[in-house]
Amino acid sequence: MHRGLLTCLLLIGMISTVGGAEHPRRVVSVNLCTDQLLLMLGEPGQIASVSHLALEPNSSYMARQATDYPINHGKAEEILALKPDLIVAGAYTDRSLIALLKKLGYRVEQFPLSSSIDDIRDNIRLMARLIGRGVRGEALIAEMDRRLQQVTRRRPAVRPRGVFYQPNGYTGGIDTLQHSALELAGWENIAASEGVVGYGTIDLERLVLARPEQLFTSSYAPGTRSRGQDQLEHPVLRRLTRGRAPVEVGYKYWICGGPMIADAVEILHRSLPR
Amino acid sequence: MTPLLKLHQGTLAAILASLVCLLFVTSLFIGSNPLPVWQAARESLLDTPTVIGLIFSEIRLPRALIALVTGATLGLAGAAMQGLLRNPLASPGLIGSASGAALGAVGMLYFGFGTLLPLAVPMGGMAGALLATFLVYLMAGREAGSLTLILAGVAINALALAMISLLLNLAPSPYAVREIVLWMMGSIANHSMHDFWTMLPGVLLGWLMLLGTGRSLDALTLGEETASTMGISLVVLRWRIFLAVALSVGSAVSITGSIGFVGLVVPHLLRPLVGYQPSRLLLGSALGGAALLLAADIATRLFPAGTDIKVGVLTSLVGAPFFLYLILKSRRYQL
Repeated sequence: MHRGLLTCLLLIGMISTVGGAEHPRRVVSVNLCTDQLLLMLGEPGQIASVSHLALEPNSSYMARQATDYPINHGKAEEILALKPDLIVAGAYTDRSLIALLKKLGYRVEQFPLSSSIDDIRDNIRLMARLIGRGVRGEALIAEMDRRLQQVTRRRPAVRPRGVFYQPNGYTGGIDTLQHSALELAGWENIAASEGVVGYGTIDLERLVLARPEQLFTSSYAPGTRSRGQDQLEHPVLRRLTRGRAPVEVGYKYWICGGPMIADAVEILHRSLPR
Repeated sequence: MTPLLKLHQGTLAAILASLVCLLFVTSLFIGSNPLPVWQAARESLLDTPTVIGLIFSEIRLPRALIALVTGATLGLAGAAMQGLLRNPLASPGLIGSASGAALGAVGMLYFGFGTLLPLAVPMGGMAGALLATFLVYLMAGREAGSLTLILAGVAINALALAMISLLLNLAPSPYAVREIVLWMMGSIANHSMHDFWTMLPGVLLGWLMLLGTGRSLDALTLGEETASTMGISLVVLRWRIFLAVALSVGSAVSITGSIGFVGLVVPHLLRPLVGYQPSRLLLGSALGGAALLLAADIATRLFPAGTDIKVGVLTSLVGAPFFLYLILKSRRYQL
């Protein structure tokens, strides 16, 4: 009986230590995309620091929440001072920084870029698993899927032609979140039909020949002027869309993949012609 | 002087004019997609133009018009400056007018003045061109030899380019820095009729002021004193040409960026054909400049789609070796 109690106590102890090892207590994020996932999924006490980019309201969906936490600038010294037990970074975060942190024995996890809704689900699950918040992760995914389904149920039978047109003729083709969002909202993405893959340029004449009914922009720096930005005001575009101004869909919805894609899909759906 | 080459003025002008017309129409035929151009031109006149009509009137027509007008401006300004300074190397590109114009336009465009005042960008171009031209003239002095003039031009050009880079680095737009190439090399792609109308008033005013200077420039070939005794006021002539160049080159460059060597090469090629007479060179250089720039702009579109070759790259590829040839030639005379 004595032995039984001891075994029982030992078991409880093991479970709790195993659980403790699985749940990092001081997570540091050095990348805008992992910042936002961490802010959405992490327990407040678990988040040791997010990057300074998380505060920038044009690119960060979680800018308000980020103000509650210490900020880092991706410098090794400040990261070490935070005594992290997990560092989360993007696939393209400064390689020398990642190598240094790993060499010093820190646990570093890198997240791939998202170019589809499936990628977004994968990244949410990855973050939730790493910080031991699986239930919260599934709830976030379910909420995103519910909102996306609500839009896709009401998609028109004949899809109007839309396209993202950005400074210097850049557009989002196949394998981009912009493309996924346009399709889910019920638009036909001209960039994809014209064979653009990823983020690339589309020639002005080709764009006009494809007869877009609506242009979308996603301004990186609203209110500034340059030749590249002036190109969006070319008179031919306005005449082509019969005077309809381009619809602005914030940059923060797709610079990083996350459940905020549902916001973008809803904006795109609302701008469908009635 | 080879008399064989000395064509009748009317004949030369007619040949050049038909070349310009031919290139202008060719330019309308070239784009990223084959287009039934005649049908497009007809449909652009409809009350509600079709898509191909819009491509014709809003994309291809302004491009050809801007190439025509800018080329003519650069050729004409080069001929007038070479006549005034009696210096074969004077041209908007080499003595700083073009880079000064680019600097003025950059200062206006990227810092939002163009939004406040509709003509702020071309006016910045004019002011920059005038300032740069005048500075080079002051530095080189009235009786400047080729070398002094070129050195003064090099200095002002370098200064203007450094200022352009600085301004573009300081500009609030994140796209600004990448556009340094556009201002240094020049581009006629993706402009609109609005851009054409913006550049036109200054350009036309400059042309009108220049086309009346032929007789004075002819007199000037006999030397400044002789010209003075013939009743020509050099001060007036000098300011008239400087202002005219500033108005026309300033407006054109504020839209296209600085396109090199057109103003240098064209007057040289045509000079023997007009019997070395500045007055006859003016019209010829205007037509020749238009033809050269139209041809260069057509050539940029023959590269595979997606390669964004700036038109100034091509004019410089032709112009720079020509410039070297001029230097070698002038050295031979000096030795």
